[in-house]
Amino acid sequence: MNGSSTITERDAAVAQPVPRRFRNWIVFWAVIVWCALELLTYPKDVPITSGFSEILKGFFSPEVGSYPAWVMVVLAVACVLFGVLGLVRGSKAKVMNVLLLVEGAVLAIWAVLAGGGLGAWAAGANDFSYNWALQTVVVVIAALCVWYWAAGNPERAELVTWNTHQVWRLYRANWQGMVGLGILIFFVAMALFAPFLADHALLDPNAQIRDPATGELFGPYHAPTAYYYNWFGTDQVGQSVLAQFIWSARISLMVGLLAAFMSTVLGAGIGILAGYVGGWQSEAWMRLTDAFLVIPWLPLAMVLAAAWGQNYWMIVLIIGITSWPGTARMVRSDTLRVRELQFIERAKAIGSSTGHVMKKHILPNVMPLIFANLVLVVAIAILSETTLSFLGLGDPLNFSWGTMLHYAWVNGAAGLPAWWYLLPPGIAIILVVLAFTFIGTAYDEVLDPKLRKREESTAENRFTARGEPAVAAVGGAGVGGGGGIFTPGVQTDDAMPDFNQPAGGSIRPEGGGGWVGGSIEDDEKGGE
Amino acid sequence: MDKRRYFIRKILNAVLTIVLVASFNFALFRILPGDPARLLLPKGKTDPSVIEKQRKTFNLDKPMWQQFVFYWRDTVKGEFGMSFSEKRPVTEVVAERIWPTVLLVGVGTVFATIVGMIMGVFAGWRRNGTYDVVSTNLGMILYAMPTFWFGLLMIMLFATKLRWFPTGRMEEPGVELSGFAAFQSLLKHLFLPAFTFAIAYVGEYHLIMRSSITGVMKEDYALTARAKGLSENAVLWKHVVPNALLPTVTVVMMNLGFVMSGAILAESVFNWPGLGLLSYDSMQKRDYPVMQAVFLIASIAVIIANLIADIMYYYLDPRVQA
Repeated sequence: MNGSSTITERDAAVAQPVPRRFRNWIVFWAVIVWCALELLTYPKDVPITSGFSEILKGFFSPEVGSYPAWVMVVLAVACVLFGVLGLVRGSKAKVMNVLLLVEGAVLAIWAVLAGGGLGAWAAGANDFSYNWALQTVVVVIAALCVWYWAAGNPERAELVTWNTHQVWRLYRANWQGMVGLGILIFFVAMALFAPFLADHALLDPNAQIRDPATGELFGPYHAPTAYYYNWFGTDQVGQSVLAQFIWSARISLMVGLLAAFMSTVLGAGIGILAGYVGGWQSEAWMRLTDAFLVIPWLPLAMVLAAAWGQNYWMIVLIIGITSWPGTARMVRSDTLRVRELQFIERAKAIGSSTGHVMKKHILPNVMPLIFANLVLVVAIAILSETTLSFLGLGDPLNFSWGTMLHYAWVNGAAGLPAWWYLLPPGIAIILVVLAFTFIGTAYDEVLDPKLRKREESTAENRFTARGEPAVAAVGGAGVGGGGGIFTPGVQTDDAMPDFNQPAGGSIRPEGGGGWVGGSIEDDEKGGE
Repeated sequence: MDKRRYFIRKILNAVLTIVLVASFNFALFRILPGDPARLLLPKGKTDPSVIEKQRKTFNLDKPMWQQFVFYWRDTVKGEFGMSFSEKRPVTEVVAERIWPTVLLVGVGTVFATIVGMIMGVFAGWRRNGTYDVVSTNLGMILYAMPTFWFGLLMIMLFATKLRWFPTGRMEEPGVELSGFAAFQSLLKHLFLPAFTFAIAYVGEYHLIMRSSITGVMKEDYALTARAKGLSENAVLWKHVVPNALLPTVTVVMMNLGFVMSGAILAESVFNWPGLGLLSYDSMQKRDYPVMQAVFLIASIAVIIANLIADIMYYYLDPRVQA
């Protein structure tokens, strides 16, 4: 329970720059991310029946699916940009910035190879194989980057560790949140392990399934039987609905996540700008937000999808640019609140620039809200994707749950009635959307103690029993700037770093003022 | 703020937003990739002389600022060009589709508002009781459900299996009815699409009304009403509900603007001949002039609904007047 958030004397003596729990995370998540990426690019044509060694070989197969080259270009440019910016500004995590440059270089090489070589570079070409090797290198460097970030900013790493730990403790006590997480893990696992669950060849236009008992084709709209691929029956041409259902999970989740991410980045950026800069600029941003808010998204999306053609990047783009205003308004109002807090005044008084304050103080403080909102936007984005696909605007080459419903609709499944074709995708969408809603609400409740049901929550009982004075650390959380997620003194029984002191043994005593989050020296430099 | 200034500010704001959205509509069809003249033609028609003619009719050969002026002149006059799938003026095509949509949306909204609010009132009143837990989770499921999927299920159950209602359209093809029989037939056709349209909003209004009631019940005046010995019913209906209505009414009005999305889905699934089906059909036929007009109408509907919500708020909430 106590882990590294308790700064014991032994820890201080060893002088570990990276908190132990943080190190464990890096090791844990790097492996998870690596596995997820490997599974995403796992070859679709290695059937489950081919045996264990073949399946294992599939992970290191040169013949894997690959990403569009332009994605690599964007990532490489972003890495190099952040690395150079960090080096120029003389940030504390110098090694991380160098590693970012290396990461950018690796991604650039990948982009060239994935684009078909320098001679005939094409942003979408997929000639290159051996993605798995480069993928591994990228993940390892990324993990190292996080490591050296923590080494360069020990007090921030400490705070992140502590905050995350507290959030998880409170979150765990919320049964709805845990149910949501469970549903989500189920569907994500289904999406990732799709190659092992259903043969992708069954999605080919002419791949009807046969009854293994009689050796005959099931034929169109056959009701479910005990045979695995016929669990959900067949569609209008006699294909397996189960195979479609499993592979659809990938597209539905991916498009939902990417679109929500794009919408949140746009919305949060504009919201912070509109909330912080003030004057006519704020007004202009708000007018723009209002104008976008009244644009009815579905007619607009239909126009755009009809004109731009049908593939999933377009759907992501369309959902992204039509759904950001809600986020922008919410982030703006929270920015207005944070702007009035004292530590902002302190930062401005010692000469921090607007950009520095926005990045180092406003953003970390509105971040929890942005994250909670992101989770809810994912739910909306998945519904939006389903709607667009249902109307026939989805990618005709890739199945999503919406596309399945589209085919069911236009082929008259409702008139038969072929319930086995209609129910699975619809129920899956409801479950996933509910899962994200539950997770978002639970996280909201963690962030805002007022929303928590005091009488019922077991976690809350544990906290109120201790009854620490509420004001104990209010000032600390505010000054910290790095993570005023909630007022810590109110509900914690865990040893927490005293924010008014230099944060425990993990900070070198000579390292400046020791304010958690943006330190004074940091703010002074940020003024340029 | 005095009344006139408040209204003038809100109306000016609405007008400004309409101008912005209409300009966006102008820009939208010109920043789209490809030649706008060709976009405004049916697929496959690539004859240069036809394109040239199209360019002339839509003034696409003029400089941008002149196009902008012409666009505004036509929009104000209500001219959106010819629908090339129906070979008629867009205004005419759109006009005959408005009433079915208004009927569907009106019935659906009234139903959703009444049912959702009453469900929410009881859920909020006995918070965390059995009814609340069941109905709130049901509300969340309804909220998470794709409207069109529910529509398909309705067709499957009530039209195909039980044969209680027709599967779509507004009237039986080829059957002439009059008087009460026609009305009955219309109701039968209206029921499923309106129910489908309403169901998503029922969940939303339920959740909003519930949280609003819970909030009001914490207020001092609710406690006072109880303390002076009023019956539970009197407290609920005379003191709590009127105060809790305010935020819900706002949300209902705001949603009224966004009915287009719901209408597109409900109408496409049930072949209801309204604006939604029109925009779905014109999307499939790439009938851009019609899409442009529908898009503009939908946007203006949102702005006007927002304006009405603001004006209603002025009368409903005395705090705004202060």
